[in-house]
Parts: sequence; C-alpha cells; structure tokens
Amino acid sequence: MPPFVMPFGTSDWSAVLPLSVVALTPLLVLLLDLILPKAMRRGAAVTIAALGLIAGGLLALQGWGHPFAAFGGGFVNGGFTIVFEEVIVAGALISLLLATHLGRDDQSGGAIALLLWSASGAMLLAGAANLMTIFLGLELLSLALYCLCGLSSRPSAREASLKYLILSSTASGFMLYGMALLFGATGSVQLAALLAPPASTTLFTLGCGLFMIGFAFKLSLVPFHVWTPDVYEGAPLPVTAFMSIVTKAGALAVIARFAYAALPQPQAQAILIPLWILAALSMIAGNVAALAQTDMKRLLAYSGIAQLGYVVAALAGTTALGLRYAIFYLIAYMFMNLGAFAVVALLSREHEEGSRLSAFAGLGYRQPALAAAMTFFLMGLAGLPPTAGFIGKILILSSSVDAGYAWLAGVLIVGTAISAYVYFKIVRAMYARTTGADIQRAVKPASLLPWLGVGICAVAILVLGLYPVAPSDVLPLVK
Amino acid sequence: MIAALILVPILAGLALYLLPRSADALAKWIGVLIAFGAFAIAIGYNGAPDESLRWLQRPFTANFHVGLGGLSYWIVLLLSLTTGCALLAMRVSRQRDFVASMLVLLGTMTGVFIARDLLLFALFWDFMLIPVFLILVAWAPGKSAGSAWRYLIYNLTGGLALLLATAAYGVVEGSTDVIGLAAGHGATAIGAVWGIWIFAGYAFAFLVKTPAWPFHTWMPDTYADLPAPAVAVVSAVQSKAGLYGFLAIAAPLLPDQMREATTPLFMIGLIGLVYGGLIALVQDDAKRVVAYSSLSHLGLILLAVFSGNPIAIGGAAVYIVAHGLFSAGLFLTIGQVESREDTRLISRLGGLAARNPKLAGALTIVALAALGLPGLCGFAGEILILTGLYQAGAIVATVIALVPIVLAAAYMLRLFQGFMHGPELADIPERKDMRPLEILALAPLVIAMVLLGVYPEPVANVSPSVSTISLPSAGIR
Repeated sequence: MPPFVMPFGTSDWSAVLPLSVVALTPLLVLLLDLILPKAMRRGAAVTIAALGLIAGGLLALQGWGHPFAAFGGGFVNGGFTIVFEEVIVAGALISLLLATHLGRDDQSGGAIALLLWSASGAMLLAGAANLMTIFLGLELLSLALYCLCGLSSRPSAREASLKYLILSSTASGFMLYGMALLFGATGSVQLAALLAPPASTTLFTLGCGLFMIGFAFKLSLVPFHVWTPDVYEGAPLPVTAFMSIVTKAGALAVIARFAYAALPQPQAQAILIPLWILAALSMIAGNVAALAQTDMKRLLAYSGIAQLGYVVAALAGTTALGLRYAIFYLIAYMFMNLGAFAVVALLSREHEEGSRLSAFAGLGYRQPALAAAMTFFLMGLAGLPPTAGFIGKILILSSSVDAGYAWLAGVLIVGTAISAYVYFKIVRAMYARTTGADIQRAVKPASLLPWLGVGICAVAILVLGLYPVAPSDVLPLVK
Repeated sequence: MIAALILVPILAGLALYLLPRSADALAKWIGVLIAFGAFAIAIGYNGAPDESLRWLQRPFTANFHVGLGGLSYWIVLLLSLTTGCALLAMRVSRQRDFVASMLVLLGTMTGVFIARDLLLFALFWDFMLIPVFLILVAWAPGKSAGSAWRYLIYNLTGGLALLLATAAYGVVEGSTDVIGLAAGHGATAIGAVWGIWIFAGYAFAFLVKTPAWPFHTWMPDTYADLPAPAVAVVSAVQSKAGLYGFLAIAAPLLPDQMREATTPLFMIGLIGLVYGGLIALVQDDAKRVVAYSSLSHLGLILLAVFSGNPIAIGGAAVYIVAHGLFSAGLFLTIGQVESREDTRLISRLGGLAARNPKLAGALTIVALAALGLPGLCGFAGEILILTGLYQAGAIVATVIALVPIVLAAAYMLRLFQGFMHGPELADIPERKDMRPLEILALAPLVIAMVLLGVYPEPVANVSPSVSTISLPSAGIR
C-alpha cells in the first residue's frame, strides 16, 4: 500500500498563507467576543482584526520575487497578486479605523469577523487563476457583505441588503453561465488554457461576454451600476468604505488577469472593446449622476463608478504600462476615497451618520484642519494637483494615447470636467460664508480613530503625487 | 534656491492656519514680508542655473525643473511686487485666511512661470485655480457663488485640455522637460496629425486663461467679485499665464502650428480689442470698466504674439509687464475708493477729488499709464507693438488696433471724471484721504510704471532662454 501523499506541497500552502491568516483571525475575534466584558469587546475586536490584517500583509510580501503557481494553477502568487493583496489589506485596515460606527456594541465582533472574511475572499480573487477559484473567492467576498449591508437598524439597510443579494446573485448567475460556456469552448477551467485558440469561437465570445458582465456588475460599471448608490447609502459607513475599495480591487484583479492573460491574441482586442465602452459610459454617467446628489455616501458611490471607469480605461489596449497605471490609480483612489469616508466618520454622531451634504456647511470655520483635509481629498478625486489623483490621471491619459485609445482619453477629460462641479460643491459648502443658523455646532466624534485614517490618506496622496511609484514586476499573470 | 520661490509662500500660507484667528495683523505682515522677500530674492536670480529633480521616467521623462530667466524673470518680479503691494494696504475681513490664500496663490503662480517642464507647468496651471476659487467662495459678495463656478469650470476645462495635450506631447516626444529649449526643438518630430491636436489643447487653455474673446465670459464676474487685493494680482499676473504660454511654449515647440493659426488668432485678438474697448465705455461698475479694458489690451498683446515680428514681440513682453502694473494699480485704487464710499459705481460717485486729493493724484497716474501716455509704461508697450505690427506688414490690423487706443483714453477719463470730478454727491460719507500705508502700497507700482516707461529695453530684449520666437512674418495684410 503506497504511503499517503499530500496532493500539494508546502509551497502551495504558503502561497495562500496570507489570506488564510486573514480568514482565520475572525475565529479569534469571535472567541474573544464571547469571553470579554461588553465594554472591551469592540476595542479588542478592532485590535485583533488589525493585527491579523497586518500579519497577512507582511506575509504576502514574502512571496515577492518568487512567482509560483499553487494548487496546479488555481492560485497564482506573483507580483500582481501581492500588489492587489496589499491594496485589499490596506483598504480593509483603513475601513476598520472607521468601525466605531459598525453596528451596536454587541454586534461589533461578528461584524468585524465578517469584514475580514470578505477581505479574504477578495484576496483569493487577487490570485485566482482558474474559473473555480474565481467563483469561490467571489462568493466568499459577497456572502459576508450581504450580512454586513443589513447591519444598521435603518429601514434603508434592509433594502440595501436585499437589493445587493438579489442583484449580485443575478450577476453571479450570468458569470457562472459564462464560465460554463468558456469551459465548453475550451475544455478547461484554467485561465491559461483559454489562451489557445478555441474550438468554437461563438461559444467562446459569448462566454467572455457573460463573464465580463458579471464582473462589470461587481465593478459597478455603467449600465450595471444601479445597485451601487442604494447599497452604499443603506450600509453602515465602514462597510460602504470597505466595499468601495476592497470589492473593486478584487473584481479588478480578475478582470485585469482575464483581459491580459486569458485571451487568444488576435481576437483579444476585439473581445475587450465592450469593456472600454463600459468604462467610457461609467466616466460620463457616473459623474453626471453625482451632480444631483445631496448625500455624501450616494455621491461617493456615483463618483466611485466614474473613478473605476478611469481605472478600467487605463487597461485599454492591454499594455504592460497600462496595467501598472491602473494599479497606481486604484491605490490613489483608495487613499482619496477612504480619506473622504474618514472625514464623514468624524462628522458622525453616535446614532447618526454625518453624510448629509449639509453637515459640511461652514466646516471650514468650525474645524479648519478637517475641512482642509477634505478639500485635499476632493482635489485628488477631481484630479487636481498636487495629489496622486493628478499624476494618476496623467499616467492614464498617456497610456490611453500611447495604446491608440485617444478617444478614451478625451472621454476621461470630459468626465473629469463634470466631476469638478461634483467635488467642489462640497468645497464650496465648507468655505462659503454662512449665517449662524445653518451652521451646525461642532460635532464631537464618537472616536478619534478616523483621524488616523485621515492622516494616513492625506500623507499618502501627497507623497504619491510628488513621487509616483507604480508597481513593477506585475506581469506575467497566469503561470 | 529658485524652488524656494514656490515652496516658501505655499508652506507659509498653510502655516498661517496655525496662528490664532485673531492674529490678523501678524498674518498680514508675514504675508507682506514673504512677498517682498520673494521680490528681493528673485531680483538676484536672473539667469541663475536651473534646478532639476527627476520626477517621472515612464511613460515619458518629466522633471521638477525650474529656472528663472527671460520673460519669466520679469513676470515673477511683477507677481511678487503686486502681491506685496496688494497685501500692504488691504482691508479685508478674516485677514489671516485671506493672506493664507494669497500666499498659496503667489507660490503656485510663481510655479507656472518658472516651471521648465511641461508637466510641472500643467501642475501649477491647475493648482493656481484652487486659491482663487476659495477666495471667490469665501469673500465674494452675495451667496450664489456664480462667479466662483464660472471661474472654476471655464479654467478647469482649459486646464484639462492642457493636461491632455501635455500627456500627448510627452508620449510623442518622450520628454516634457522642454520649456526654454532652443526654438524648433519639437517641431520636426511632431507630425501634422498630433501637432494640430496638441496645439489646439494648449491654445484653448491659453485663450481661456488670457481671456480672449469669445472665452472671456468668466472674467468680468470674477474680477467684480474678487476683493481688491486678489483681483489686482489675478488680473496683473494670472491673466498673463496664457500669453506667456504662447510665447514660451507654443512658439518654440509648435512653430508650424502657431504659424498656421495666425489668421484665426489675429481675428480673435482684433475682435477682443475692439469689443472690450466698446463695452468698457458703457460700464457703470468701475471694476468692470477695468475688466473689459483688460480684454481690449490683452487682445493687442495677442496680435503682437502672433505677428512673428521681433519688435512686436518685444513690445508684447513690455506690455505684459506694463498691463500688470497699471491694472494692479487701477484695481487697488478702485478698492481704496470702495473701502471709503462703499460703492464703486461711477454713477453713484462724484467730486471725490476735493476731499481726497492724494487719491485723485494716484488715480490720475495709473489711469494715464493705462491710456498710454508717453513716458509711462503703457505707451512703451503700445508703440513697440504697433511699430512691429506695421513692420510685419499687417497694415489693416495696425489701423484697427489704433481705434481701441483712442477708446482707452475715453473710458479711462470717463472713469476718472466720474469718480473725482463733478458735483460732490450729498449722500457720500466724508472720509479721510489716503493713509500713509496706502500711499506706500501704490508707490512701488508707480515707480515701476515710470521706470518701464522711460527704459523698457531690458524687458523688450527678453533673453532667448525662454522665448525665442522665430516666426516668419505673417498676418493680415
């Protein structure tokens, strides 16, 4: 009788070690939640979760420079995966700083556990290189989020949760059908296997289309975006912040890997054209819809739709530089966006989120430092110097022009011009002279932790704006 | 350190927020000190070696590259001088915050003029919108903020066109570190396909910023709503960024496209010249008179820039500085009248000269400089431009350009008479004449107007390091 052999070696397991750490930390969080007194629970949960995320982030760095396809190509650990894992960890960490608004005290342990599970799903997506792993990661990411969206006691929370569940499942359905067709056309679930010219082009193209629709939904590209504002509005603030970056990073990782490394060459550009059109639509429609918003979470939802359009536009032409610039802009967007969310958190009272636009009236006179920080984040989102948003836009513009997609660069410019009104509406509210009546009294924030988030984000935006480092060594993606 | 001319004002402006809100006087003197300090330091830096630091390597080379010389030297002097004078005698509420915005404005605008890299130029070009937008939002009268939006949206659209053009230039050329290089550097490489689009992007941004007809509609409201010290600096210097861009960027880097665009740009300049002069004649608001007169004067400079004649271009350089001096002087004087009488409408004022002889004297000098009295700076620029236009063979344009110069005399004297002469209006409160500080604030500008009027040569012979113009003569004949 032959001895039992583990089908996979140590290096396979060490490739998924970072995400395993992030996925196992919640067990500790839940355990502590049971034994600690009520007053200490939230603090303990946040601390343990932060430590788990930091550990995951540090462990992920160890794989740098040793690309390895684990589990027979199911999970590819390389520069690309690591960069996305770091983005997800950082996004989750900063969202965690806002977690003072995450449910009642007795819910916080469970909520934070769900947040980490969702993050581990996104990290799985970052490295997923076959259709099965992709689906596994996506469902892990989404299932936790369905619960988190309904956490608050407002009626809009239940709507958000249900809406997200139904629409997201529908999108998953599309994607699964697409995966089935791709499997039918190529006979393999490995992304690398799709590179070979398919037996049936029709089946293959249809499969690609359905697959991309599924992920366009996750990226909330127009016209698959309608769920975003409602879900963002209903979900608690830290969850909204988390979704705005971690979900997007996970979905972007998949779509980038698919676009760059899983399509047979002569047809690839033609198959991907719909994706660039969706990006163009998002840049315009996202910003136009944001014009009318009076709630910060809805406004940031629409702005996020447009910003992800910019990121996807950077991929147009699937050049190596374009991928690096998409990642750079995603990182810049993470800091600008989470910075803005942190400011909203600081304007929130115990039971009321400060996301109405009126909460910003006269902020420049009440809390000058907070208003200055918010102005800086909004300048970044609008693509103004001296922020990472400015340099990110320049990089995207040049990569689009370089790849022969000058029209996409033109659309980006138009979208940015519209967005200036969106973002500077808030700046105006903060600095316009107001009569005493419409200025609220300074809000004493429930926690000072979001200030840490504001500081980290502001410094990161300035530094990346003056000294832009786009990650190198992100290719190849599947082997 | 040339870069300190950018960094010190911006950082100092932000640091002012560390002062208590009540430290208005201290904030003001810090602002004055920094502005005049920048002036004193910049004087010594003419032609100093450039400073450069690597910024981007891919997708194209871009550097933090700054240098001071040629036309940019004179504009930086003008900028720091007008900022210092404007802050010296200001009367604005919430002074600490205002000085902070003005210092950030000083630093960012300096950046525009001393940047030697197109991407750095674009960075400051967009950056300098923010302080002006904030000043408009927080200090403009009324609550609608219409002028702030118009200012931001117009100029940002221009700025984004500039950004796209810069990205395209970088991709095509491989480097944006090209401002101040020898003429024709990029001309051979940039093909007709890209060249026309890149030029269109730059030209649009420059025309909006100048502003030239028909992109000028943001300007009168902005100028009317900005407090006097801010509008003095914006009209004196920010409006020159577009003209500077044509001279220092478009002419050397895109000479072929510049030549092809001569006829439409001549038309734009001529229409602005006449239209601005005519509208200025009938405005009641004194600030709008000066705003429309700027449209007229800047149209004249635009003609000179596109004439391709070296004399006219020397004249353009002189007139860029001259217009900066006298428009700053005009806006500051009008601001002093307004702070006394609570109005700046010509129809509401009259007979101020009897009680305010010093104020009347100050307004006389700046108005005479503006209408082109020989011996003052306006004349020096105008005569060089007209001579150059004539020499370039643009006879028709020269003749048309004479008309607004006559109009300038009419509207400037109308403004002066309306304010100073005529019967004293009964409902105007009696106020004191100019304070010593207000005289001190105008004196440097007046001295500079005289100096430039009698000895325009150093400015007219701007060093080729930044604006080498080698256009064959062209124009409307």
